[in-house]
Amino acid sequence: MVRLSDLPSAQAKRYAELECPSFEATPWVTGPPLSERRIAIVSSAGLVVSGEKPFRGRDAEYRVIPSTTRPDRLLLSHISINLDRTGFEEDWNVVFPLDRLNELAADRAIGSVAATHYSFMGATDPGLMESYAREVASRLKGDSVDGVLLSPV
Amino acid sequence: MSALGHYLEQEGIATVAISLVRAQTENVRPPRALWVPFELGRPFGPPSDPGFQTNVVMTALRMLEITSGPSVLRDFPLDDPREAPDLRWRPPRLMTAGARVSEDLATLLECEIPMLESSYKQSVAQRGRTIVGLSGLSINEAGHYVAAWLRGGIPPSPTAEMSAPLVLRFAVDDLKAYYTEAALAGPAKPSSKQIGDWFWDQTAAGDAILNLRKIHLASSDDRLRAIAGLFLVPGIRATPTG
Repeated sequence: MVRLSDLPSAQAKRYAELECPSFEATPWVTGPPLSERRIAIVSSAGLVVSGEKPFRGRDAEYRVIPSTTRPDRLLLSHISINLDRTGFEEDWNVVFPLDRLNELAADRAIGSVAATHYSFMGATDPGLMESYAREVASRLKGDSVDGVLLSPV
Repeated sequence: MSALGHYLEQEGIATVAISLVRAQTENVRPPRALWVPFELGRPFGPPSDPGFQTNVVMTALRMLEITSGPSVLRDFPLDDPREAPDLRWRPPRLMTAGARVSEDLATLLECEIPMLESSYKQSVAQRGRTIVGLSGLSINEAGHYVAAWLRGGIPPSPTAEMSAPLVLRFAVDDLKAYYTEAALAGPAKPSSKQIGDWFWDQTAAGDAILNLRKIHLASSDDRLRAIAGLFLVPGIRATPTG
């Protein structure tokens, strides 16, 4: 079990106080009911499709994960040694709940599932990720996505 | 994660973030976030529990329909039931645990890896997948590479694509994944703590990685000290000097 409170106090403090850019205002976008939304996953778990370059150090760019990716093709290359990986080993939905989204779309609880999902490396300085995040936003809009589930690890 | 929420929403896409570290989320104030009381690495809770995972996903997604905001932070009310130990679970059998075939840890590691092969294969067949593979080496090659570091010096990288320290990091990740996946073979559902206790306290691989950390923490090479301190052993398993 690796909760923040289980880590040595200096390490837990580093996580809790991780330097982040400050934002003067928080944006707020509204939209249609959930049953009409197209949902994508954007993860910061350092996920890569097998055969692609794993994340190195604190890479700021992102990787693309098509909705057609099978569970046996997705690897987790996050730099942190403090997170549990056994959950993801047993069931990828613990980190990347694509099966759950597909079921929700089949049940019409959500409108549809995006054609493509994305992953960043969460240990990277978020300021360095900004331009890549805006690029991902453009690609999401190109896929008509109007709801994003942001998943850390 | 919370910063990504700001960037995407500034571009016109509604977001909801899962939060594992509430203090971070409070600092960054994303548009919407659902804090979950789960361990790091399990943002959607227990593995192999679709009902619970769907509950987390839907609780988060329903926040997209909230009309008054921004900076809405809610708490998910349920704990992860898989944090409790499964008393039926037994770790894979390792001859090295009782009767050590060698006093040399590097050799022990190399001997131990094949002993887990049948459990690992059974586990992969059960789950239909493996996350071993970051280093690009076979598991035996990864073991030999880690063993070579343990024997001293810096073995050359086996690939032009990655530096030797990066291959070491990924080879260690692959070893951990191979062992912990082997531990998942069978019907029992062990907690991550049960698997971690076995790996770090009872296997030559755990010993090898702890020793590698200790050796390189004492190195005069800044890069090796950083790798040893940051990328080999989880904080809850490490002592300040190794």
